[in-house]
Amino acid sequence: MKIIVCCKIVPDEQEIGVLPSKELDLSKASWKISQYDLNAIEAAKKLSSETSGFLTALSVGRSSALEGTKIRKDILSRGPEELALVIDDTHMFSDSLETAKAIAAALKSTDGFDVVLCGTGSGDLYSQEVGIQVGALLDIPTVNNVTDIRPNGNILEVERTLEDGIEVLEVTLPAVLSVTSDINVPSVPAMKEIMRAGKKPVHVLEVPLTDALPSINNLSQQVPDQQERRMIIIEGDDEEAVESLYQFLKKEIL
Amino acid sequence: MPFQSIFVISEKKESLYELCFGARKLSDQVTAVIFGDRTAAENVADCGAKCVLYCPTESCIPEDYCKAIASEVKKSPCALVLLNNSVRSRCIAGKLGAYLDTAVITCASEIVADNGDIVCKRTVYGGAAISSQAFTGSYGVITVGNGIFGDIDAKYPVTEKIEQISEKPECTVKIIARNEKKSGGTNLAAAKRIVDVGRGLASEEDLDMCNQLASLLDAEVGCSRPVAENNKWMPISNYIGLTGTTVKPDLLFALGVSGQVQHIAGINKSKVIVAINKDKNAPIFKNADFGIVGDIYKIVPALIKKLS
Ligand SMILES: Cc1cc2nc3c(=O)[nH]c(=O)nc-3n(C[C@H](O)[C@H](O)[C@H](O)COP(=O)(O)OP(=O)(O)OC[C@H]3O[C@@H](n4cnc5c(N)ncnc54)[C@H](O)[C@@H]3O)c2cc1C
Ligand SMILES: Nc1ncnc2c1ncn2[C@@H]1O[C@H](COP(=O)(O)O)[C@@H](O)[C@H]1O
Repeated sequence: MKIIVCCKIVPDEQEIGVLPSKELDLSKASWKISQYDLNAIEAAKKLSSETSGFLTALSVGRSSALEGTKIRKDILSRGPEELALVIDDTHMFSDSLETAKAIAAALKSTDGFDVVLCGTGSGDLYSQEVGIQVGALLDIPTVNNVTDIRPNGNILEVERTLEDGIEVLEVTLPAVLSVTSDINVPSVPAMKEIMRAGKKPVHVLEVPLTDALPSINNLSQQVPDQQERRMIIIEGDDEEAVESLYQFLKKEIL
Repeated sequence: MPFQSIFVISEKKESLYELCFGARKLSDQVTAVIFGDRTAAENVADCGAKCVLYCPTESCIPEDYCKAIASEVKKSPCALVLLNNSVRSRCIAGKLGAYLDTAVITCASEIVADNGDIVCKRTVYGGAAISSQAFTGSYGVITVGNGIFGDIDAKYPVTEKIEQISEKPECTVKIIARNEKKSGGTNLAAAKRIVDVGRGLASEEDLDMCNQLASLLDAEVGCSRPVAENNKWMPISNYIGLTGTTVKPDLLFALGVSGQVQHIAGINKSKVIVAINKDKNAPIFKNADFGIVGDIYKIVPALIKKLS
């Protein structure tokens, strides 16, 4: 089975700063694999081993995110045999359709696939829509919030968790599935895999993105007002600390 | 782009009324799309829509109607589509968006008409910023965050215009089973006091200690996303944060919560935040009114003793 897992490279949210203008300062943030795409990679690795498949990772973005060898190795150390990249600095990839069109174009340029896996939502935008829109653009079956995938010949039996129930669905291939972040616990890459990652191929795809136009205009981005906090912090877990916590609670609420 | 016409799509009656109420603040031309038979449509004829389109689902799932719905929407030269923010609605939204050549604005926290434009707000970067966005094309698709339109304080006439959607569903995935799931969980959104448990808790049995503290404080117990998702110690509906429940208690007591931005986004509205964490650099302390740098396994049992 040929499996493609989509993963996004995003700025590390813990390193995002705030400018005096109350806009975000992304300049000091390092790049990382979007947290919940680690679950997609893990699910793809499992499906690939169950079906003696071949796993390719695909990422779309600007050169600042995708040029680094460290991030490329990080992806490849987690299971994929190869990495395909669409690098383009003329697009912002800041709306779900723009990104989905770029991914769909990349998928069309490959020599076929059986399953595309996406994560539940990207760490920066979290629109939870890119996978579904890719499936719709390619006019192939697509399911979101997938919590289990069971291969069965050339179909997949897929479990999808809704707010009030669970559906079991039969999906013919090729298809696009978006998995949840609780489908598995991503494994930590072994030393051997980290060593091997540097030798795996990275393909920078040349795909036309002329119709991947944005359909959303970002008017402004503002840091919300933070609630003032008293920040009375004491160190130590002795009797004295517990007593002052008790006194605080007593004064506030009891 | 002014959108004269609004389509409201909903699989649930409550969210249909809420969305139609919101849609009517933006336009008089509201069409409701529901999943079910003619009787189901007649039952919601007073939702505020000019027309109710129904999509029978005895032999398919709502998603199978996406192309049919897109054809209806395209009969208007420009239109906005509103859905709630459930798993299924997001699937319908994404497909419709692709057919209407538009991105989806997911989980909008505000939708207002501004100089003829519809402007939406949504949270990005894990809660670090709020983005204001508008569609650039003739169509837009929005999933709406919970309760953003406020209480419904209008009554609308019953519409006579009830029609079956004209195109047939297109079945792309086959449903072989469906099990109801008990939603369970506590109503954290309304809780006055909350004990908020993070991954600092070492094992599931230790929840006893947290429950005991909660009952002494007359509080509900919530948790961080990984405690529910990875550890599966609490229902998914009990996790707090940007993508979980937003809470606004008088007291939030965080135990072993690091205070990452996505979690803070959900507890920000608490009146008083108390935190215990053994790492003095944990970001939760920047968001706490009172904090102890220490071990929850020492402090919580001692506090329980004092309280009881
Ligand atoms: C798109 C996206 C959306 C997300 N949405 C949410 C969300 O809505 N809600 C949410 O919660 N998370 C969300 N997250 C996850 C979030 O980034 C953090 O991973 C998560 O909040 C961390 O949970 P935690 O604080 O329980 O665990 P950790 O970050 O692992 O923190 C555990 C803490 O416990 C402390 N500790 C350990 N042992 C002890 C002890 N004995 N005594 C005292 N302290 C101890 C440690 O010092 C540490 O600070 C989201 C992430 C992404 C990418
Ligand atoms: N730029 C990108 N490159 C590769 N995959 C992406 C990209 N953006 C989104 N995805 C995939 O789509 C999923 C949903 O993203 P989103 O709709 O932005 O929340 C992510 O978890 C990824 O699997």
